[in-house]
Amino acid sequence: MTNELVYGAYILVWPAITLVVLGVICGAVARDVRQARNNDDDLI
Amino acid sequence: MNENGFTQFSTITVLLLLAAFYGGTYLLTLLIRKEKEDTSGFMVAGHHVGFGMGAASMTATWIWAASFYAAATSGYTYGVSGPIHYGLWGALMILFIYPFGRRFRKLAPNGHTLGELIHARHGSSSQLILAGSNVLGSIISLMVNFTAAGALVSVLSPLSFETGVIVAGVGVLAYTLTSGFRASVFTDFAQLVALMAIAIIIIPAVLYSAGGPSVMVEGLSKMTDEQANLFSVEAIMNQGAPFFVAVLAYAIGNQTISQRLFAVREKNIKSTFVTATIGYGAIVIGLGMIGLMALSVGVEPIDGKMNNLIPQMVSTYLSPFFVALFFILVIGSLSSTADSDLSALSTIMMADVYGKNIAKDNPNPKVMMLVGRITMIVATVAGLIFASFSLDILVMLVFVGALWGAIVFPVIVSCYWDRVTNSAFTWSVVVAMALFCIARFELLEMTGMTVLAFEILASVGGAVVIGMMVFGFFGRAAGLVAGAITLVAMLMFATGFLRDYMVLVASLTAYGASAVVCTAMTLLSKEERFDFDLIKKRVGDYDDADSEGTAGLIPEGAK
Repeated sequence: MTNELVYGAYILVWPAITLVVLGVICGAVARDVRQARNNDDDLI
Repeated sequence: MNENGFTQFSTITVLLLLAAFYGGTYLLTLLIRKEKEDTSGFMVAGHHVGFGMGAASMTATWIWAASFYAAATSGYTYGVSGPIHYGLWGALMILFIYPFGRRFRKLAPNGHTLGELIHARHGSSSQLILAGSNVLGSIISLMVNFTAAGALVSVLSPLSFETGVIVAGVGVLAYTLTSGFRASVFTDFAQLVALMAIAIIIIPAVLYSAGGPSVMVEGLSKMTDEQANLFSVEAIMNQGAPFFVAVLAYAIGNQTISQRLFAVREKNIKSTFVTATIGYGAIVIGLGMIGLMALSVGVEPIDGKMNNLIPQMVSTYLSPFFVALFFILVIGSLSSTADSDLSALSTIMMADVYGKNIAKDNPNPKVMMLVGRITMIVATVAGLIFASFSLDILVMLVFVGALWGAIVFPVIVSCYWDRVTNSAFTWSVVVAMALFCIARFELLEMTGMTVLAFEILASVGGAVVIGMMVFGFFGRAAGLVAGAITLVAMLMFATGFLRDYMVLVASLTAYGASAVVCTAMTLLSKEERFDFDLIKKRVGDYDDADSEGTAGLIPEGAK
């Protein structure tokens, strides 16, 4: 049972980290969009 | 499913998927299209890409189609540690370059390519060595990505390999041609969001459809001791070490990275590259785990081809809907890298070739834009032709990898040490490439003193790799100490042992030889010390040069 947990976590930790990074990137882009809109500037 | 065990889509389904992907991407670029693009926007998005867009773009660019296939192959071949030995070192290529990137940006705040900086520092010969290696790398990358598109389309549908290659080439060119780098970065964000979302779904889906963690644990008994070991020496020596050696070389040799170092807002360089490191590592290692799952459940790759592993696992364990998602995942990853390669190639031709060597720092921005767009078209056609030939890229990769290894020390040291000369840069690369070829192809009999000499040079190379990495983060003293400790350790433990891994010896020799020659020639030189402030004056914005009607930049050689 312990082995299953460890092995399962070893495989599933990567999509979990991916999810966190996706959240960080989307949050940062949303901030950039707001900032660009407030400053009447281009996003890119 | 076809007779080979892959899910088969109809021609209409695949064409609709491709049309949805490339059509949607093209429509996205209309949101940022400007009536009149300027050269700075076309090459580096005006130097003010934000953290989110920058991190997304760096991650999407660094993930190419081969990333998934190679990580899965590594998992299947080396077992538990395999995916990490592919994904971790690839991720560190992004991490270890950013301290140097901040230096490049400080020296040339208005730069577009690393070649421009080296041109301002040394002149044309050094710059063209760097630009040439960048061009070769990007063309190989284009070819590999178009080839991957052709292979995927031909495996999952009745359409031919050539059809897949042409659709990918035309699709990428269509959305990149007008806005260049701006389009590349903007679409990278959308492509990365899709890519990450699909990876987050597919990895657990394959795991639980294949029986879950309990089946994977049972599969450990089918593995060799090395495959079941997280600290496998075999995996480290054959997969990890050659990649580790390439960490700085790939980062320095790749214009797609330096372009982003010059494009992201200066204050966001660190956060952008750290986030991209984590994102790249998680996606690639995660998808590499599918190779480990295949090994655990005893799947044999169809026709013995490792590249079939992921499509085979997805086809075997998941519904056609997930296979369609996988299709978009691969098309997204290869397109995001291909559009970055097109932008990189166009920028090199615009800035390094036209701006610095043809227009001699007095370019016409309109001509410059034309040069960039023509380069994109020519590069796409070249990539399509080379991909259609299904060329063996191994030999090209060997040379380009060695060239990148040889330029690491001269490029980095030139940005910190005011005594390095153009001759020292150029000759160090030439000598390193010659010695690399001797070691890699064993042109001399590798016995006795000969092989010992190469092991000593390789040990110096190892010291350079470690020393440079530590120097980037912790400064000169720490870098010198780390390099010295590595050199002593390698001389003690690697001589007599490294000769069993001649590919590794050859790669390290490129680093070591260029460092020795560059340092020796620099110390012997009587040339005047270089004033680093000159770089800022020599590398500028080409749009300003036109509006003032005069050369806005101070040419190399003027003081």
